[in-house]
Amino acid sequence: MVVAELIQYVATGLLVGGVYALMSIGLALIFGVMRVVNFAQGDFMMLGMYLTFFYAMAGVDPLLGALLTIPPFFALGWVVHRGLLARVTGGGDPQRQMDAQLILTLGLSLVITNAATMILTPTPRGIRTAYATQAFALGPILLNQARSYAFAMALVLAAGVYVFLTRTDVGRALRASADDPEAASYQGIDVRAMHGLAFGVGIALVAAAGGLLATYYPIEPSVAGNFIVLMFVAVVLGGLGSIPGAFVGGLVIGLVQSLTLLVLPFQLQNTGVFIVFLLVLYLRPQGLFGRRARTV
Amino acid sequence: MLTISGLGVTYEGLHALSDVSLEVAEGEFVTLVGPNGAGKTTLLKAISGTVPAAEGRIDYQGRDLGRLRPSERAAAGIAHVPEGRRVFPTLSVRENLELGSYRRAARARRSEALEVVLQLFPILRQRERQLAGSLSGGEQQMLALGRGLMAQPALLLLDEPSQGLGPRIVEQIFETIDRIRRERRLTILLVEQRVVEALELCDRGYVLETGRVVLVGGREALLADARVQRAYLGG
Amino acid sequence: MASRARGWLAIAAIVAAGLVLALLLQERYHHRVLTLVFLWAAMGLAWNIISGYAGQISFGHQVFFGIGAYVTVLLVVKTGLTPWLGMLVAIAVAVLAAILIGVPTFRLAGIYFGLATLAYPLIFRIVMDWLGYQEVAIPMIRDRPGWFMQFSEPRAFDLLALGVLAATLVLSRAIETSRLGYRLRAVKENEQAAEAMGVDAFRAKMAAYVLSAAPAAVVGAVYIHAILFIVTPDAVFGLLVISQTLVVSLVGGIGTLWGPLIGAAVMVPVSEVLDSTLGDRLPGIQGVVYGAALMLIMLYAPEGLYWRVHEVLRARGARGAGATEPIVAPATAPAVVSTPSGTVLLEVRDVWKAFIGLQALSEVSFDVREHEILGVIGPNGAGKTTLFNILNGFLIPDRGSVRFRGAEVTGLRPSALCRRGVGRTFQVVRTFPRLSVLENVMVGAFVGERTVSRARTVALGALAQVGLTQRADALPGGLTTLELRLMELARCLATAPQLALLDEPLAGLSTDGVDVMIGMIRRVRDGGVTVVIIEHTMQALLRLADRLVVLDQGRRLAEGAPGDVTRNPAVIEAYLGKRWLARMAAPTC
Repeated sequence: MVVAELIQYVATGLLVGGVYALMSIGLALIFGVMRVVNFAQGDFMMLGMYLTFFYAMAGVDPLLGALLTIPPFFALGWVVHRGLLARVTGGGDPQRQMDAQLILTLGLSLVITNAATMILTPTPRGIRTAYATQAFALGPILLNQARSYAFAMALVLAAGVYVFLTRTDVGRALRASADDPEAASYQGIDVRAMHGLAFGVGIALVAAAGGLLATYYPIEPSVAGNFIVLMFVAVVLGGLGSIPGAFVGGLVIGLVQSLTLLVLPFQLQNTGVFIVFLLVLYLRPQGLFGRRARTV
Repeated sequence: MLTISGLGVTYEGLHALSDVSLEVAEGEFVTLVGPNGAGKTTLLKAISGTVPAAEGRIDYQGRDLGRLRPSERAAAGIAHVPEGRRVFPTLSVRENLELGSYRRAARARRSEALEVVLQLFPILRQRERQLAGSLSGGEQQMLALGRGLMAQPALLLLDEPSQGLGPRIVEQIFETIDRIRRERRLTILLVEQRVVEALELCDRGYVLETGRVVLVGGREALLADARVQRAYLGG
Repeated sequence: MASRARGWLAIAAIVAAGLVLALLLQERYHHRVLTLVFLWAAMGLAWNIISGYAGQISFGHQVFFGIGAYVTVLLVVKTGLTPWLGMLVAIAVAVLAAILIGVPTFRLAGIYFGLATLAYPLIFRIVMDWLGYQEVAIPMIRDRPGWFMQFSEPRAFDLLALGVLAATLVLSRAIETSRLGYRLRAVKENEQAAEAMGVDAFRAKMAAYVLSAAPAAVVGAVYIHAILFIVTPDAVFGLLVISQTLVVSLVGGIGTLWGPLIGAAVMVPVSEVLDSTLGDRLPGIQGVVYGAALMLIMLYAPEGLYWRVHEVLRARGARGAGATEPIVAPATAPAVVSTPSGTVLLEVRDVWKAFIGLQALSEVSFDVREHEILGVIGPNGAGKTTLFNILNGFLIPDRGSVRFRGAEVTGLRPSALCRRGVGRTFQVVRTFPRLSVLENVMVGAFVGERTVSRARTVALGALAQVGLTQRADALPGGLTTLELRLMELARCLATAPQLALLDEPLAGLSTDGVDVMIGMIRRVRDGGVTVVIIEHTMQALLRLADRLVVLDQGRRLAEGAPGDVTRNPAVIEAYLGKRWLARMAAPTC
């Protein structure tokens, strides 16, 4: 029956969307706090996938491996910010700074993807787990186990980010720096350190998402390019800089991608996503949860 | 506590302040008035570090502030309640206040300080969970003041708290400032356009015009001085 | 002027050098590299037109490259049309695409523009996949190969590529030295100021975009025939194309002819050599080199090698004339001194404007009379700048109307208002930082003049009026506050306004500077321009203004002669408060 088929696609789309949501939160955090469009986000995700793969070679289950990517990638993100992003200021003009940092991260992306191709080779790898090929049955609907676990983990991590941002001093300081950096410095917040923190967390999140993705998706250097666009669209759809928005955006993109497969073949599955992108940019560029509330 | 000598500031390519000297003793309430464009906000920004000083020196508790970054100055006990309130719109009222006590020295006393502030501004208790961006202008001003107090500051810088607010709210705000002053022993530097209200609260006052100090005096002396009017309306 | 001839000579020299190289080089491989250098330089120059000159960084320029490749090859395959003519069709398609893409995309601000440009090549890739053109090979034509751009002699491709480069160089130079070029640079440096000086920013950007699309399409067409031979979506719409374009332009220098030339001459041979020697063992070495180049450039020389060297040389060379040079009194005095007549030039009627949570203006009405100097005053937050932004076209009122010389002008964009005769200066001087003082003023002059030489004459005249002639070639960065304000005034005058809106022209000036500026404003009025000033420096304004309008909390509080207005109790109350009024026994003069 068509309805069951539809629900199946919706379910799969949501499961996949959960991981997209986690990826996008990282990007949204970086943009919200630092006003940087991190073109290399997909590349860090790809590296996270590889790290999880190596953990798996050592016998660590990829779901745990994904969590274990967080500390090293946080440190990596901090270092990349200090060493690269913090040095590119565009001479004070915010527009020039955004352009300059976009180009910087584009360069970084090229280096990472191509270096990975050289060092790790383009041969796709995969992680074999028992649950990758099994599915839960919910009535007529089949939910692939790997995707379900990944979805659950993604939600847990996203919840963790939520708690961090709303219940801790540092998390609130991050949000304040995103709202109004000048006023934040009046409270004694070191805004530059907040930038480093945001970048570190953003990279760690996307690496973890990569680890979760690796439970059912092949691992190869070109993965970076496949997902960066999805992340951008999710973030713009949610509203640049809004973290809950990025989460919802990720879910929606997963749905759109999945539903597109109802009418188009696999190679064209991103068509729907691009159409959504253009629609958002032209009809409602501030996205669903467009940022700032007004101060009087 | 605060000594400014010969301060010169260039802001966005214009000479905003020239040769400004000013002093605030511990426990004093000093007001800075002057017409728009006189450089009052620029002076406060120079103290809290958002704007660099081109010439001159700012000393705070004996230290040269020029060596401290803005976040470090705040950590040293300078609380700047900025012009236009600048509350964090996507944070709740409570979160804004909690953030006020970000600096280490204030964190320990956060819950008592929060209680005191909410008593001072009952409307904030009502709106505790609301997003700050949805508050009215007067409520945001109270929130900004409360946020500044949460830092347990040694020096409180108030930048035009009356800006953009209706007369009744302004009266309330000034009453509260007076009350704060009487209940605690804060050192306060108030910048204002509204002359009488600001002068009535203070111990001493300065009048700034086109980036220079044109008049200094005690409260009563300034309130009776016609030159104050001339600074605003010429003639 | 000497530098203009020099520019064309330099181009001729480059082309000649290219010819020489094409003739001298022997090995097939060297010719391939040479061809690539020429082609990528041309692509960089094309990109430079929209992203360098106009400052709109596009991450999707490979769309036009790909259009050039696909259109010419498909025409050969499907209709047997020679690519020499096919290129013309490709250019037409590219131009059409540029218009279709540009119209919606240029309305997007800032970062959204860049993000949108990323999407288009991806869409083209998908479309080509969907149409079934995953791989289109150029068929080998044995009969009349030259007619189909299939040369066996590699030098032929060199010359073809050199021809494309030469044409793009000529196009770039022509733009640089034309009215469009000045306007583009103004838009890039400060779009709002450009609009206020009569430049329709949208049209300028569209013109640049269309002009940048055509050469890119030609490069794509030649690239396919000279290098690749098979068109795939990834090869022509993919990331590597735009990366190479960016690298060539950014490394060399953005916003100048020389940039892509230097960038291509340096980066292409390096990457080709690396690819051929290490490419087998290290696939992707090219990508690493490009990525590293982009990062290093952003870190250490964000404007590119050309400007870095330029900066270093300029710093070593003669320092600019000291800022302590006295301003010479203007040589030109107005022939007829205008005095305020009674005729109304500008009518503001019942203007209302609200922002979220703030009623900025309520029911504001007043007249501006011809040849008067009208001062607009009021305490902070009174709505003065909002009013100016409405008069100037940056904001549209919610209700009410503005009539200029009897015609309704509410809602016109700033460039249109400027062309009608409403000029403006800004509270914080908005210069075009990388244009010289003279060039800044010329942007204004282009409102009335079409050619560069006439604009230069008008600009020099305006500079003479304000006494800045000796600073004509200086950069705004080296000017004093007074000189900057005078320059802005000259730029406004060059637009030949009938009404000048001056926003705090005295802010930040010393007492001497205030005197000079007051004198200058009087001369401007005497020369026939009506002036409306916002000012806080009361003492000065009282000397200058014929009449005053007082705004408070968005409403018009009073209007009249300065002496009357400043003694009006309501006005005193607005500035100093009711209680001040009560305290004063009687307002003293």
